Amino acid sequence: MGLKGNAAIVGAAQYKPEKYSTAPQMFHLEQVADLAGRALADAGLKASDIDGMVIHGPQFHEAQVFVPAMAAEYLGLSLNFAEVVDLGGCSSVAMVWRAAAAIELGLCQAVLCVIPSRMAPLAPNEDPSWMARAMRFGGHSTAFGAPEAEFDLPYGHLGQNTGYAMIAQRYAAQYGYDPVAMAKIAVDQRTNALANPDASFFGKPLTIEDVLNSKMVADPLHVLEIVMPVAGGAAVIVASKEVAARARNRGACVTGFGEHLSFKSPTYADDMVHTPIGPAADRAFAMAGIKRSDVQAAQIYDCYTITVLLTLEDAGFVPKGEGMRWVREHDLTWRGDFPMNTHGGQLSFGQSGTSGGMSQVIEAFHQIAGRAGERQLKDCDTVFVSGTGGVMSEQGALILQGA
Amino acid sequence: MSTNKPMPMPTAISAPFWDGLKEGRLTIPHCKSCGHWIFFPRRHCDKCWSQDLEWKEVKGAGTLYTYTLTRVPTLPDFADEMPQKLAVVELDEGVRINTTLVGMDESEIKVGMRVKPVFDTAHSDGTVLLRFTAADNDFPAHIDSTPAALAAASAAQADAAAAAVSKRQVRFDDEAAMKALVSDTYSDWSNQIVVDQELINEFAQLSGDDYWIHTDPERARAQSPFGGTIAHGALVQVLQSRLRVALDFEVVGFNNMVNYGSDRLRFPAPVPAGSRIHARTRVKAVEKLPKGMQMTLEIVTHVVGNERPSVINDLVILYM
Repeated sequence: MGLKGNAAIVGAAQYKPEKYSTAPQMFHLEQVADLAGRALADAGLKASDIDGMVIHGPQFHEAQVFVPAMAAEYLGLSLNFAEVVDLGGCSSVAMVWRAAAAIELGLCQAVLCVIPSRMAPLAPNEDPSWMARAMRFGGHSTAFGAPEAEFDLPYGHLGQNTGYAMIAQRYAAQYGYDPVAMAKIAVDQRTNALANPDASFFGKPLTIEDVLNSKMVADPLHVLEIVMPVAGGAAVIVASKEVAARARNRGACVTGFGEHLSFKSPTYADDMVHTPIGPAADRAFAMAGIKRSDVQAAQIYDCYTITVLLTLEDAGFVPKGEGMRWVREHDLTWRGDFPMNTHGGQLSFGQSGTSGGMSQVIEAFHQIAGRAGERQLKDCDTVFVSGTGGVMSEQGALILQGA
Repeated sequence: MSTNKPMPMPTAISAPFWDGLKEGRLTIPHCKSCGHWIFFPRRHCDKCWSQDLEWKEVKGAGTLYTYTLTRVPTLPDFADEMPQKLAVVELDEGVRINTTLVGMDESEIKVGMRVKPVFDTAHSDGTVLLRFTAADNDFPAHIDSTPAALAAASAAQADAAAAAVSKRQVRFDDEAAMKALVSDTYSDWSNQIVVDQELINEFAQLSGDDYWIHTDPERARAQSPFGGTIAHGALVQVLQSRLRVALDFEVVGFNNMVNYGSDRLRFPAPVPAGSRIHARTRVKAVEKLPKGMQMTLEIVTHVVGNERPSVINDLVILYM
């Protein structure tokens, strides 16, 4: 069952994270073309090699429907496979395995996976406050008949912060809670960012005290345990063995994946503190035929510190309920015994909307390809990548291994 | 009058739930095929997919599954509930419900504690929201959190507080005593009043400022960054006359008191229609002039719960 590992990430591009206020404004189609061109150049491939596309559909600026066709037309591509992914922060991981599966099925030979996350220019008649309006309810639907519009929003249950905070509170009641361990996740990741000139917080060291003294947003989450939204955008090229052989980078083969979801609000989860990454990771490891201990680096989706902790436990790296102690006992930096989010994670790299999760995929690729600069791990052939959307609503796992 | 807080829009599927709450009854769908309880309401059982469901009344007894206290409001409109006590309650029937806790101090809240329902009339249209409180709490099962009811309660409180304050008398021409009133500390909060759409409309008519962001709720819901209409800054400014601040002093001995206008007038934060506002003051400066004694009174009006003032007014009063 599953993938044979015959498709690999061979090229990548991502915009350096920037503040929305100062980042260039570009149409999403323009960003897609620009990112695709950069990723192709990175791979050493030609536009004519691309015959598949997986693109982020929700919030696409120039179209709400028919996004792949419009993008193919704009780019000048002829595609044998195209689709839209709508899995929030899990989308990056989800795009890569869909691309790999399409290639192994023989549908296509090279797939562009792309998420534009810079703002588009305002139309001459457009009111600049549209963004504030659009952000008022965040990722929540206010449509008539949407369960969350009817049963969550009137009580003030909205935004991601409070959902993750309530998961953390439930965890605390069941297993105990150590704010220092949670802060250490952010601090170790910051150490990694200090070795990544592209990270938003490059050159800005962080201490556990800084995290614990930062503003409480929703108990028990401090503001420095929460990602900072930035403008960005990212693309990767996934290619068949034949095409990968012509690429200039060492490929990161997709040897395993898993995906799991069953709710939007974690209130309706069977058990709020046993997250969907559990079944997703089990499937990914079984498919790749490797053990947790074979993993040399973990790029764990980190919208919040609690996301990291639960993923480490539920993906099977740490026994359930022992995550806090484990984090204190291990060095999660690129120099450490469990290198994790070696680019700084989104907490220190910045979260560029839905493309934020691509930073984890791209870091895994760069580590495997030996292109991670100062933070390059000595041996890095096998990397675990996770993606998380919503409030632990949809999660995915990838196993990437060097060709 | 309305509020800008999001309110439920019952559907043909869910209406019995909301109708039940209005009657003080908690009813949820129950599957006649497999016995599973279903929340939120649907036409099918999410366990066995049977459509053979019935609405059944339950006691509402449950346990607190989890909660959080917000230190930043999840929407500006919830500032008056800070900290919001967002909670997930698991009813004894097994279903979980997103809700908020009421009538409880932060320190009393514990995951796993027993809770009971509180039926809260949250909107003047009669919408009742289902909140919860500790099972052993001596708290009413029915409350009214419409802005009008809360403002009325605050007025009674403020009046009682004002009656309890003993006012020192300060002669207007006693320069030292007058200057001693200058303080960095604000007074207690005044009573609260509701700035509703009706009031905003009346002010629009009076002033001629009928810009849509104040007067067109439908357009404002679609296009305003505040999710609805907001009051005119000038309206909120003049409403300071309706806000009674209990001061612990009284200036006496003068023949005439003149409102000289304002040294500084700012509208830093919007007042969404339906908000409650309140004010507090401090004496910012006292200066002896040839004509008399001039006092600058800083009056700040806030939407209840919002740290940012909606009006800052440095009111200049001349006592002669």
